[in-house]
Amino acid sequence: MSNSIIIGQYVPGDSWIHRLDPRIKIVIIFCFVVFVFFANTALSYGWLTLFAIATAASTKIKARFIAKGLTPVWFLIIFTFVLHLIVTREGTVLFEVFTFPIYSGALIQGFSISLRFFLLILVTSLLTLTTTPIEITDAIESLLHPLKKIKFPVHELALMMSISLRFIPTLMQETEKISKAQASRGVDFKTGPLKDRIQAVVPLLVPLFVSAFKRAEDLAMAMEARGYRGGEGRSKLRELVIRKQDIIALGLFAFVIVVLFLLRS
Amino acid sequence: MQAKSKQSSNLLKLIILSLFGTISMVLLFLNFPLPFLPPYLKVDFGEVPTLLAALIFSPMAGVIVQLIKNLLYLIFTGAADPVGVFANFVAGITFVVPISMIYHKYKGNKSLITGLVSGTIIMTIAMGVLNYYVLLPIYGVFMGWEEMTSTFLLSTIFVGVVPFNLLKGVIVSALFVPLFVKLKPWIEQKQATIR
Repeated sequence: MSNSIIIGQYVPGDSWIHRLDPRIKIVIIFCFVVFVFFANTALSYGWLTLFAIATAASTKIKARFIAKGLTPVWFLIIFTFVLHLIVTREGTVLFEVFTFPIYSGALIQGFSISLRFFLLILVTSLLTLTTTPIEITDAIESLLHPLKKIKFPVHELALMMSISLRFIPTLMQETEKISKAQASRGVDFKTGPLKDRIQAVVPLLVPLFVSAFKRAEDLAMAMEARGYRGGEGRSKLRELVIRKQDIIALGLFAFVIVVLFLLRS
Repeated sequence: MQAKSKQSSNLLKLIILSLFGTISMVLLFLNFPLPFLPPYLKVDFGEVPTLLAALIFSPMAGVIVQLIKNLLYLIFTGAADPVGVFANFVAGITFVVPISMIYHKYKGNKSLITGLVSGTIIMTIAMGVLNYYVLLPIYGVFMGWEEMTSTFLLSTIFVGVVPFNLLKGVIVSALFVPLFVKLKPWIEQKQATIR
């Protein structure tokens, strides 16, 4: 189990995208998702594609890894394209496939919307490819900081996220161990009708929950013994600092958006 | 001394809910797509820890676990499908909150069954409505389908969304009832020590 599933997409590296402040990355990607919808000419689409590919290339991550992150959505992208070819009836008939007319408008629309989809997925996946989950959590805590004014428990949420992240590998291992232990006692997880397979999960879950409680009690005691008393005045191991390169990245992105608006009609 | 012990039980609760979120996330990898439904509708056991948290503590605890689970999922999958994650969050809440409210009011195994049935129904209705007014139109914008007809929406909902949510409710319930019966003595003991 632990060998076949690699959780998360993070690919370690030392490119300048890796080193950017995670908050800046999240903000830029969020803006990109909004601005992709403003592209409406071939040139503006081309410009955004250039930006996305240049960014992807500057992460120095092998194209193979990036493509792997995109595998679940290839189907959707192609599906969108084909659907538009079939349904849209604008422009002139270009050619016929088995007496089914393909319109020029359909080709253009299908292509641009699949491209938009591709760009969205590519750029958002760059965040998880170049940022560790714990960095993303820190960034979310920092970005949500203003919500503290309306009594939203930002610190507690971030703490819970960090604890959850920390325990994913541990509990994965534990699940594997328990399922092997139960399999050796004759529980069959893989075959049989759906009903039996659902029932087989129960002896897996019972020890998992009980041991999670035990771990929680140990951790709570350990934290209290070290003087944990909530978010007030707590110092951090990893501090997020905005540096010169982050400002430059924001500037570059602003430039990309300005050019986008010049290129659209 | 009273305040001190209250604080530590809060911290313990916080950590327990985090670990339940982790279990949810781990269980997501046990999901199996059902053969006759489209691949984006997947049944998983991620709702089980959410439900357990809601029954041990309060409906709010269930909401928190669901939130943690979906945030983790979002961070790990790279936000490829934020709409789907949002849908999963709402589905989980509309399923778990009614169940735990009914259970906490009446207690007992019978009220759990009543709760599971009504939770499944409420989730199905809520997801149908949400898909009609919000989710499918958003997907439509992403896919360039601004002009979705209401017949298309309704047929998608009645063919895909409604049976899926009913089935999901039934499968999670079928797993949860024997689990809860087994864990009940242990849960009562924990409730006594933590509260």
